[in-house]
Parts: sequence; structure tokens; C-alpha cells
Amino acid sequence: MDGNTRLHDTPDWIANITIQELENNPYPFYERLRKEAPVAFIPALGLYIASTKEACRAIAKDGETWGGFISPAGGRTFGHPNVLNVNGPEHKELRCMVDPALQPRAVDGYVEDLVRPIARRYVEAIEDKGAADLVATFCEPVSVRALGDLLGLQSVSSDKLREWFHKLSVSFTNAAVDENGDWANPEGFKPGDEARAEIREVVDPLLDNWEKNPDDSALSHWLHDGMPEGKTRDRERIYPTLFVFLLGAMQEPGHAMASTIAGLWTNPEQFERVIDNPKQIRRAISESLRWTSPIWSAVARQAKKDTTVAGVDLPAGSVVMLSYGSANHDSNDYDAPSKFDMDRKPVPHIAFGAGPHACAGTYFASEVCRIGLEELFETIPNLERDETKEIDFWGWGFRGPKELHAKWEV
Amino acid sequence: MAFKISLNDGERSALASADQSLLDAFLREGIWLPHNCTQGTCGSCKCRVDAGSFDHGGAPFDTLTQEERDAGIVLACQARAQSDMLIEPLAEIDDSVTHHPMRDVSGRIAVLEDIARDTRRLVIELDAEMPFLAGQYAELNVPGTDVWRQYSMANAPSETRRLEFHIKRTPGGLATDGWLFKSASVGDQVDMKGPLGNFGLFEAQDDPAILIAGGTGLAPMKSIVLHALAHDLIPEIFLYHGGRAQADLYDVDCFRALDAEHPRFHYRPCLSEEAWQERSGMVTDCVLEDFSSCKGMSAYLCGPPAMVEAAGKALKRRRLPPRRTFKEEFTEAAKIAAE
Repeated sequence: MDGNTRLHDTPDWIANITIQELENNPYPFYERLRKEAPVAFIPALGLYIASTKEACRAIAKDGETWGGFISPAGGRTFGHPNVLNVNGPEHKELRCMVDPALQPRAVDGYVEDLVRPIARRYVEAIEDKGAADLVATFCEPVSVRALGDLLGLQSVSSDKLREWFHKLSVSFTNAAVDENGDWANPEGFKPGDEARAEIREVVDPLLDNWEKNPDDSALSHWLHDGMPEGKTRDRERIYPTLFVFLLGAMQEPGHAMASTIAGLWTNPEQFERVIDNPKQIRRAISESLRWTSPIWSAVARQAKKDTTVAGVDLPAGSVVMLSYGSANHDSNDYDAPSKFDMDRKPVPHIAFGAGPHACAGTYFASEVCRIGLEELFETIPNLERDETKEIDFWGWGFRGPKELHAKWEV
Repeated sequence: MAFKISLNDGERSALASADQSLLDAFLREGIWLPHNCTQGTCGSCKCRVDAGSFDHGGAPFDTLTQEERDAGIVLACQARAQSDMLIEPLAEIDDSVTHHPMRDVSGRIAVLEDIARDTRRLVIELDAEMPFLAGQYAELNVPGTDVWRQYSMANAPSETRRLEFHIKRTPGGLATDGWLFKSASVGDQVDMKGPLGNFGLFEAQDDPAILIAGGTGLAPMKSIVLHALAHDLIPEIFLYHGGRAQADLYDVDCFRALDAEHPRFHYRPCLSEEAWQERSGMVTDCVLEDFSSCKGMSAYLCGPPAMVEAAGKALKRRRLPPRRTFKEEFTEAAKIAAE
């Protein structure tokens, strides 16, 4: 099958979809995809999309047929080799580099001491103000500071880390291609390129130091772990994966925290219950990850051989984007999926993916969100939505509220 | 015939007869399971059944949904075993607190006196000890019936054989109009079981406490205040007692004396429908007036559900951490009886 035959087979409603429409609100398009074309070729992207839970899970879990593959815009942003687009022994090596600090048992050992003081500091900075945009003043700063300190980037300000992930995100989601398969907006990669250059400028001296003076920061371990005595890992094998972290792992716990609050605000009774009983925060986060999956449609797989999914024949080499945000609204698994309801039957969501490339930071990210929300709700239990301001969700690759305006009596 | 009910910690178990609730079996064995109302209304005793057969007893669907039933969840205070079982409480068991086993005790009425409008003090001299923690309650049997009613102990827990209760009359109520405000008299035998409940002061705390009581919600607060002052358990205590008029207040002299004696204790009665030389207004509004911030404090609330809810909201407005707000609501006897 070549591009032309695919185009001829493509109905208008799919052929005409634009990235802008998806970024504003992907749900209506995806609802139709799930019903009519669970695995569909999308000309605007130059690749296939899997939209149902069944198709996403089948592909993600089948490491024999499907290899990790970064979306073309993602590859352009991060460079090669990164942990998302390598397979087999190379993938194993990079996972052995990033996984140790993120294993649940390791996380349990440090996460309270790492995250709680950070969350306290940021909530103390706003608690007497009576109003704040929680995305900019709390969710994002807590998210970047927690991971930044874990990695060893204490010297980089939270605002700089936020700037980096925002810039990398612009490039990563600059996915549109023209009819020849070329980038539709090449200048969209500029912010990411700038961020990458700046990151190397800041991080190179840190790596220089860790080469000689290893410590317990995650990046120091990335340099040294699994290397022969006296040798450190080549930086070209570290940076692409560090860029993956500085985007996804920096941005998404903040998205998840903000979406959890926004979700709870749609259901005042459940919001009150969570404030009164912080033990329910975990359940609220889990429902939020299903309701608005932060990594909405940003990971892909490539077929290693000819295969068939959901009745669609996919030749070897086909690239399929796994739209987890859509899979988590699959009405086969969830009644009224667009409703935030933490009392719904807890059918597991697939927000962290599955199979060999499942998210390495699942537990860490969830704990960052939990501790952040515990501190926020404990210190400001009279937190309310500022009804005069809209909550504007944005994004297709990554999705969350752009701003989240809260108010409280002081 | 008794069945062995095991907790999934692999260590603890209790024997339960076919007509005994799982919760009852464990509490009698001296094994604490999280619970509060024992009436099937609060849901705090939910357990997951890992093995064994059972029936749900009187578990209301409001408290235990069909989905929860499908997932093997039971209310330990309602479920009855039909075989040996393996269960796991959904709430954490707090092993740092030593709870007293529940027991059946009998005693005789030593005092039964009017202390406020439609309110009586009942003191029972027990035949045996019933140790309890300040804030807990007992179930009293209405003589000649199989009806049990819950009342909080109002005396300090250092006294385990002479228990004080505060009884508010419910018009037409079986235990009040039918017994304690009618036929009951000094010397009568009373059967009871206890202690029960997870509301109260179980250990010393570093944060000052606001205690808010509505009507006979004062009973567990009196126990907590006496216990805390005797053993230095709370650095500063603010006790608010809400009533409509002076006729609803009681033990005023007792609390005023404590207030005078202990600089750390403050007694603030509030009347919602009567102007007098002290505080007037809803008790929750008085709290809002008195504190611009409740950060770093804890709170104990006991009274009618509407008061407990309003007080909980007021304290949140003043930024008292909800984790440190402990609540006991009056269970509506009429609602239970109707189910």
C-alpha cells in the first residue's frame, strides 16, 4: 500500500482534520474514529492512529510485532537514540539507565523527603494571596522542581525548567506534514532547538563535574551506572533521553495535578469528599488520568512485520500513534466517559501505556501528584474555582488545562 | 456453630457465629477493626472478602452499592458469615492506639435527672469494668426489646464502672419517650455493650483543639476535656456548646469552674435563639468570629448532622486541615428503624 491508495480510501472527515482542531478539542473526532475507524490513516499526520482501548493495548503490549517508535516530530525534537524510539538491547540499556531511581521501592525511599518540602514551599508562597492560577504557581513548579532536584538540576530555576518543557513541547507537537510528507511548519521546531542548545550549555558543566565527582543524583547515575571502571556513558547516549525527560516527565505530572483539580471542580460533592479525606486523592488522580490523559496522543509504534489490527491490514513499517487519551474514553469500558467520576467502576486506564515501552515514571509521577495535592488541599481546604474565569483545556499530543484560576478566603 | 474469620495479615482471627456481625466478633476478641456507627450508615467498616461465603445482613444500598457488593465488599458491622472467611479491611488499622475489647456488661441506674430542656443525665453503676477511650460510645438495650441505642460516655475514661450518659428526648422515641423519660428509675437494671466507635482523643497531641458540640453532643466532649486536662494531652482547648436557649445548656457550672481553674481551657456556650450576656448566634458563626485562622489546629465535632456539616465547612474556611477534623454525627434512630 502506498500513500496514494491510502488517500483514496480516506473519507473526507478524516482527510480534512487539522492539528489545530485536534489541539482545541480532539474528543469529537476521536469518538467517531472509535466507532467507525479504530485504526485509521490520518493524512495530516502521515501515519495511522489507534483510538480504541483494545487496539491501543493490543499494539502496546505486543513487543514482538511492534517496536517503540517516536513520532517524526518527536524524533526531530529529541534526536536519536532516545528511550522512546530504540528497541531490543539498546532499549534495555537506556531503561537500565533511567529505571533504577524510578522503581516504586526506590521512589518510596526518597519521595516524601523530596517532594513534600517543595510542595509546601510553593503553597506557602500563594496561601495568603487568596487567588492564583494554580497551573503557573503550583502544579507546574512542583512538577519541575521535584524531577529537577531528583535529576540533580538544583541549580536550574523552576521558571527555566518550565520554559524548557514549554519550548520542547511546541516542537514535539509540531506534527503536521504536507502532501509530500514534508513539515508543514518547519519554523515550529525553532523553540525546541533553542531549548536543546541552552540545556546542553547548562548541563554540560554539571556532567563534567559528575564525571569526576559522582553523587546520588539521577544524572550522575546515568553517567556511571553499568559502565566499566573508569568510564562514563557517552553524552550523545544521554542527551536525547534527557530531552524526553525534560519535556514529558517535567510537564506531565503538572498536567495531571491540574486536571485532577479541574475534574474535581466538575463534581463538587466529590471535591468536598477528597478535601475531607485526603486518602481519596489517589483515586481522584487515577480518574483524572483516565478523564484527561496528560500524554494524550504522543507515543507511537512501528510494525516490524505485516500485521492486522482491528481488521485493518498494516504492512511492515507502518507507524501507528497510540492515542491513549481516546482509549481512556472508550465507551466499551467507561459509561459517560467525558464525565469525571471517581466513583465509577475502577477499570484500569492506559494513560501510562503498556508493554515494553510503558512509562518508566508511572509511580514517581503519581506520587508527585499525590503529595502536591495533599499539601495544597491541607493548607487551603477552602480552595474554590474562580467561576469568573474559563478553564481552557488545550493540546492533542499532551493535554491539560492552560490555566486554573482558584480563589479562597484569607 | 462458629466460623473462623481471618484477617489477611495472616495473624489475627476471630470466631463468629452465624447470627453475629463480623465486626462484633473481632471487637469482642479484642481485635480492632475500623468502624464508627455499627448501624450500616457510615461505611467506615468496609472490608474486602478474599474467601468464604456470607450474607450482607442489613447493609443498606446507600452505604454499600451493588458494584461494591459485586467486588466482594461487605460492611463488617452487618455481614454474617456462612463459612470460614478471609477478609481485609479497606481502611488502615491504626495499631498505634490500644483499643479495649468490646464486652457485654450490666449495671443499675444510679442517677437519672433532668439537666436541661428535654435532656437527662443517666449514670449507670456497672457490675464489671468497661474500659473505654475518651469519646467512645456504648449501646444500651431498651429493656424488654431487642432494640439498642447508642450513647457516648461523658465521664473521664479513668472511671470504668460508673458511666455517665446524656440523653436527649426524641418525641415518640422508643428509648426516650418509651423508657428513659417514662418508666426508667434508679435501681433498674440496664444491659449494654461497648466500647465502640473511632471518635475521640486517643493520644496526646501538639496542636490546640476546637471542640464544637450541639446539644447532647457535649457528652463525648466532656469526657475528652476531663481526660485531656487531667493528663496534659492538648496544649489549649476551646469548647463551644451550641443550644437554642439557656434552657438547653447544662453542666455550665462544671465547665465554668474548669475554665477558671485551667488557663488552657476556654468554655464558650453559644445560644442561637436567645440574647444573653454571652455569645449569641449559631455556634459555627461564633467560631468564625473568634478565629481568623485555624491553621495548625485540630477539631472535634459532635452533634446533629447539619451542625457537624456546617462546622466542618466553617473550619475549612478558616483553613483548619480537614485531616485533623474528627467528626461524630448523631445517628438518626428513626431512619435506622425504618430500614
